[in-house]
Amino acid sequence: MERLAIHHANGMEMVAVKDSAISENGTERTLYPYVTGTSVIGMKYKDGVILAADMGGSYGSTLRYKSVERIKHIGKHSLLGASGEISDFQEILRYLDELILYDNMWDDGNSLGPKEVHNYLTRVMYNRRNKFNPLWNSLVLGGVKNGQKYLGMVGMIGTHFEDNHVATGFGNHLARPILRAEWREDLSFEEAVKLLEKCLLVLLYRDRSAINKFQIAKITDEGVTISQPYALKTYWGFSAFQNPSKGAEGSW
Amino acid sequence: MFRNQYDTDVTTWSPAGRLFQVEYAMEAVKQGAAAVGLRSTSHVVLATVNKAASDLSSHQRKVFKIDDHIGVAIAGLTADGRVLSRYLRNECINHSFVYESPLPVSRLVVRLADKAQVCTQRSWKRPFGVGLLVAGLDETGAHLYYNCPSGNYFEYQAFAIGSRSQAAKTFMERRFEAFNGYSRDELIKDALFAIKETLQGEKLTSSICTVAVVGIGEPFHMLDQKTIQEVIDSIDIKEDDASAAAADQAPMQEEDKSSEAAAADQASMQEEDKSSEAAPMDI
Repeated sequence: MERLAIHHANGMEMVAVKDSAISENGTERTLYPYVTGTSVIGMKYKDGVILAADMGGSYGSTLRYKSVERIKHIGKHSLLGASGEISDFQEILRYLDELILYDNMWDDGNSLGPKEVHNYLTRVMYNRRNKFNPLWNSLVLGGVKNGQKYLGMVGMIGTHFEDNHVATGFGNHLARPILRAEWREDLSFEEAVKLLEKCLLVLLYRDRSAINKFQIAKITDEGVTISQPYALKTYWGFSAFQNPSKGAEGSW
Repeated sequence: MFRNQYDTDVTTWSPAGRLFQVEYAMEAVKQGAAAVGLRSTSHVVLATVNKAASDLSSHQRKVFKIDDHIGVAIAGLTADGRVLSRYLRNECINHSFVYESPLPVSRLVVRLADKAQVCTQRSWKRPFGVGLLVAGLDETGAHLYYNCPSGNYFEYQAFAIGSRSQAAKTFMERRFEAFNGYSRDELIKDALFAIKETLQGEKLTSSICTVAVVGIGEPFHMLDQKTIQEVIDSIDIKEDDASAAAADQAPMQEEDKSSEAAAADQASMQEEDKSSEAAPMDI
C-alpha cells in the first residue's frame, strides 16, 4: 500500500492510502464487506448443540435481504453459522461442499467430524488473512460425533477457539453475558431454546441490523434440524415511548 | 521364475499378462528378514527379525513409527522402506495439521498403494522393493494392512512377510480366529511365537527381534529389550512344560514360488478384511 501526501487547501496535510487492490495486473482482494449478516449465537445443551441466527442481510444500513439462511449443515455431523459478508459465506460453503464430497467418496466408514471441519476452516481463514485477502466472516461451527459435542468459532483473521457457548458480532457483547450467567451443562432442548430466545430478543431490540425473523438449528447424534423462520414477540408499550415529543416541544 | 525377454522394463507386459519387474520386486520382499503382524479388536502388534550385516555392525531398523496411532514394519530393501516411511509420516502430519485429528489408516494405506502403483507404470521408474505391514488404530477400530510393491494392499487379521514367513503364517492360520478376543499380552506372545517359527531352530532372543504395539489408549511404540526377553522366557518355560507342544513347530517350507499366484496381484486394488484363506499369500 503506498501513501500519497495530499496538501489540503487550508494547509493541513492529509495522507491518503493508495490501495494496490486493483493494480496493473488486475488482481483484487477483499477490502470491505458489502452484504452482511449480524450475530450468530451457539451453545451446547444436553443432547447436542444449538445455533440461532436471524435471516437478515444488510446492505450497509439498509435491511435489504430478509430471507438469508445463515446457518447451514455440513456433512452428517456439523452445523455452520456465519456473520459478516454473505458472499464469502457462500464461498466457504462451496469449499466445504467439495471437502465433504471428497470425504464421502472414500466410502470407507470414516467421516469428517466437527473438530476436523473447524480446523480446516481455521486453516482457510488464516491463510487468506496472510494474503491480505480475508474471507470477511465470523464463523460458528457446532456438531456432534459419536456422542461428543463440539462448538467452536473462527474469525476472519484466523482466531479460533472452542467453548460451551459462543456468539459473533454484537452477540459477543449482548448475548454472552446472559449465557455466562445462565448456561448450564444439562439444559434440555426447550430450556436451551428459551435461553437462546432471551438473547435473540435483546439483540433484536438493541442491534440495528437485526430483524425479527429467526432460525434455530439443532444438531444431535441423530441428525440436524433447522427450524422454519419465525418471529419473536416484542413489546414496545413502555410508558417512555408514549408521547415521544413530550419533553421536547417543537421540531427539535 | 526365470529370465526371459519380457522382464527388462516394468512397462513391458508378457504375453501371459504379467509384469515381471513387479514380480521380481515382490521377490525382493520375500528375501528380506521376516516381519509379522497380528491384530485384535483393540490392539495391533508388529514383530520383526533383525538381521545384522555382521557381528560388528548394528541391527537393521525395520519398524518405524509413523504417527502416534500408526506404525509400519518392513521387509525387503530397507532403504526403500525408509523413504516410504518418511512419505507416510509426512502424509500423517499434514493431515493432523489441517484437521487436528489422526489420519484414518485406510486412507493412508491407499495413498501409499497409489504411490507404489505409479512406479509400476512409468518406464523411467522401478517398483519399490519393500513390503510394508501397516499397523494402526483409528475411530473405526484396529487395522493391519499389507502394502506390496505391486500397489496392491489388503487388510489382514494376521500376516507375515519375508524369508521363512510361511512358517509363521502356518502357525497363525491355526489360531487367528481367536485373535479378536486376545488381550494385549497374548497378542505379543503370539507375535513372538510366530517370529520364533521363522527362525527354524535358531535361538530367539530379544537382541535379534523388535516388537511394537499400538492400541486403544496406547500410542505406537516399540517394546524395550527387557520386556521382550521376559515374554520370550515365558514362552520357553511353557514349551518345556508341554512337550506335546512340539507339534506346534511347523516343518520348514520353501517359499511357494508358483508364479500363477502372482497373477492375482496384477488385478486392481482389492480391499478385503481377510483371513489367511486369501492365500495368494505368496504375494
